[in-house]
Amino acid sequence: MTLEMRNIYKSFGANDVLKDISFSLKGGEICALLGENGAGKSTLMNILGGVLPADSGSILLDGQEVQFPTPAKSLDAGIAFIHQELNLVNDLAIYENMFIGRELKKKSGLLDAAAMMARCREVFAHMDIDLDPAAMVRDLDASYKQIVEIARALLMNASVIIMDEPTTSLTDPEIDRVFDMMRTLQAKGVAIVFISHKLKEVLAVCTRYTVLRDGAMVAQGPVEGVTVDELATHMVGHQVRTESLRQERALGKEVLRAEGLGQENRFHDVSFSLRAGEVLGFTGLLGDGRSELFQAIFGSGGKYRGQLYLEGQPVRVHSTRQALELGIGYVPRDRKENGIIKDMDILENGSIVTWPKNTRLGVLDWAKVREGFSRQVEGLKIKMDSEKDPIGSLSGGNQQKVVLAKWLNAGPKVLIFDNPTQGVDVGAKEDIYDTVLALANQGVAVVVLSSEAQEIIRLCDRALVLYHGRVQGELSGEDMTDQEIMRLATGGETRGRV
Amino acid sequence: MDHTENKKAPGVLSRLGRAWRTNPLFSTGIALIVMVIVQTVALTMNSSSASFGDWFQNWLLNWVSLLRNNSAIGIIALGMTFVIISGGIDLSVGSVYVAVGAFTMMLLDTGPNGWLGSLGLGGAPAILIALVLALLFGGLLGEGNGLLISYGRMPPFIATLGAMQILRSVTQYCMKLQSPTLPEGYKDIARLGIGGQQLMPIFYWAILAAAMYFISKKTPFGRYVFAIGSNERTTRLSGVDVRKVKRRVYALTGLLVAVAAVIQTSRIGSMDYASAGSGFEMDAIAAVIVGGTSMSGGRGSIVGTVFGTLIVAVMNNLLNLIGVDPYLSAAFKGAIIIGAVLLQRKDKA
Ligand SMILES: Nc1ncnc2c1ncn2[C@@H]1O[C@H](COP(=O)(O)OP(=O)(O)OP(=O)(O)O)[C@@H](O)[C@H]1O
Ligand SMILES: [Mg+2]
Repeated sequence: MTLEMRNIYKSFGANDVLKDISFSLKGGEICALLGENGAGKSTLMNILGGVLPADSGSILLDGQEVQFPTPAKSLDAGIAFIHQELNLVNDLAIYENMFIGRELKKKSGLLDAAAMMARCREVFAHMDIDLDPAAMVRDLDASYKQIVEIARALLMNASVIIMDEPTTSLTDPEIDRVFDMMRTLQAKGVAIVFISHKLKEVLAVCTRYTVLRDGAMVAQGPVEGVTVDELATHMVGHQVRTESLRQERALGKEVLRAEGLGQENRFHDVSFSLRAGEVLGFTGLLGDGRSELFQAIFGSGGKYRGQLYLEGQPVRVHSTRQALELGIGYVPRDRKENGIIKDMDILENGSIVTWPKNTRLGVLDWAKVREGFSRQVEGLKIKMDSEKDPIGSLSGGNQQKVVLAKWLNAGPKVLIFDNPTQGVDVGAKEDIYDTVLALANQGVAVVVLSSEAQEIIRLCDRALVLYHGRVQGELSGEDMTDQEIMRLATGGETRGRV
Repeated sequence: MDHTENKKAPGVLSRLGRAWRTNPLFSTGIALIVMVIVQTVALTMNSSSASFGDWFQNWLLNWVSLLRNNSAIGIIALGMTFVIISGGIDLSVGSVYVAVGAFTMMLLDTGPNGWLGSLGLGGAPAILIALVLALLFGGLLGEGNGLLISYGRMPPFIATLGAMQILRSVTQYCMKLQSPTLPEGYKDIARLGIGGQQLMPIFYWAILAAAMYFISKKTPFGRYVFAIGSNERTTRLSGVDVRKVKRRVYALTGLLVAVAAVIQTSRIGSMDYASAGSGFEMDAIAAVIVGGTSMSGGRGSIVGTVFGTLIVAVMNNLLNLIGVDPYLSAAFKGAIIIGAVLLQRKDKA
């Protein structure tokens, strides 16, 4: 199998997104597609996947020119696509989602649910994932949804699989299992396009790389012998720092204290204390309950046991509005479902949290709103044409920055970042880290929830590792290492300090 | 083929084409203009006016009565727009309308059973009090819907379907033995006019449309309504009290329905409790849909709804003018709804 995209051009209005891109792929290859946020990676793959039409250029499959006017056509040609944003029907069960559009039927023409579920179980077993195919997708956490997306693509017997940032909500052991599956497919002659901002993953699994910058191809070659630094330099034009950002900071008074927080099947007996100016990390594997824990603290996760103290006062947060008024902010994970309002423009998406503060006699003061948002656009280097454009016209990474922006202006005492760098490129990630640290320096108490050990290690003063909803151990300073985090996250005991 | 050619400095035509494809207001506006032109032609052919002055007066009178006759539904559709943009639906508007109408008439009844009258109140103060109470009552009934939907977590369709049945039946029951008559002063609310023409209902509609437009664009509440319809979860996670916003949307609709009820009772002076307001929910929803608001929420506009109301109204007027069998008028209304939505379908990009 060979696939070729020739001389592809694409523009949105006056924005030339792809300029004469040619891209080829052979069976048995795993090709990394790299580039900064907004470089055009998703757009190129959307053209291959039949989601967007190219302005000009052609696609050749095994030497034959093909047209993909719709996603279904592309899928029929054997191209499976895992989109950057989750694409599941919340109201259907997992197995129904996995087989949507190509359901298995009995001879009578009725759906064969048993066969479909059996196939799902097979794939999940292969991936070593404990998921009930009959469970509703609505009830799944973002990480599991991502697993379902990947598993669905694996089911399709595709000859080409496009994976647009498939691992943004996953932790290392799950990612390793996904990689195993990718290698198995590769050995069978399947070609895979792998888009990711995690360059270590690229080195681990890919055979070839292609780098886009501003819609042009700037580098490509075999992965063998390439270093993370070299790739990063191709992408952003300069080296990217990798050192720890931990710094001595004068910590203020205790801002948030949790005592014995618990919620059925989600988290149990969690206690911690957080001081002003501190950056506290929470990490763990799939199903560790950290998002649920902090959504409950933020007032959107339903009832919980235990007691929360804010600046020494016992509080019980019932609604997000109350949380906002108390000075607790939460930047959610999974931006498509929790972070983005797709029918609203960039400015509205980036400012909705601060509207109540920016009114005069009940009327929105757009000038003030705009002023606050522009500050964040600059600080976070959000790449956009006009703030009046719909949010959907931004690349994934830039949408993520808009989600961050709406909370940065709210001036909270406690700000919880849940997977804050989802889909953000290596350069922009550092900008976000700087923003988080600047907040801490201003005396904000910061919580970072992340599945990426390096993110926790570089950014946080202290980290709690959760295992099945319980605090398995606490690490700080030099004790925070990949190995130690992984050991606790997989249920290992805290090592006695010597 | 040069790909860079046709995008720099887009021509007027391509800009219009883009607006046609992407802005539902634009196509709705064009549809309205076309309808008005056809209607004007029909009116001209119908009338045997000798001079231009006659013709113009004829044209104007036709418009005044068209606008006046549609002001009640126009006002109700304003509230329905918010409801639908927030991702809901309100089937109870017709029943709220009849309930508020009956309530107001009982308050003001000049007979021995009149509530305010038996308290010794009369004249302008009584009318003022009745007005305030009527609006409050409408808002309260809407609030009831809102509570069921937001705190009771009931689907809007079901909650308002229930309210629709309950309110109409209770109203009919309570009014079984009553036949209230309204004081003359009350009728001025709608009948005050210029040159013998009742213009007040049109005036109220215009003011309320302007106010609702302003709310939808410039207040946090108005923007939250859009945000909730587009992504309720994200809106809640942005620190918005979603339940409160939803409650207010239905309360506001109840209030607007009450305004419509007051205008109509004042204009007509009586009400048939079995049939008044029935079908209002469908007419209001039709106006909102024709106006380009999305049934799935998140997208829509007040201006669109005003256009939508007018399109349906002008079409009814037109059918009347060219003498189409009344049995067929609903078929035309249905065709307009389907046609409008087909026109507005955005390119699936
Ligand atoms: N539907 C659209 N309308 C207008 N502009 C768009 C649209 N989709 C993408 N763009 C623009 O195209 C450019 C490339 O976007 P694309 O999504 O391909 O980036 P990306 O390389 O996938 O970035 P990321 O790493 O952030 O996902 C961006 O400048 C974006 O604003
Ligand atoms: Mg992308």
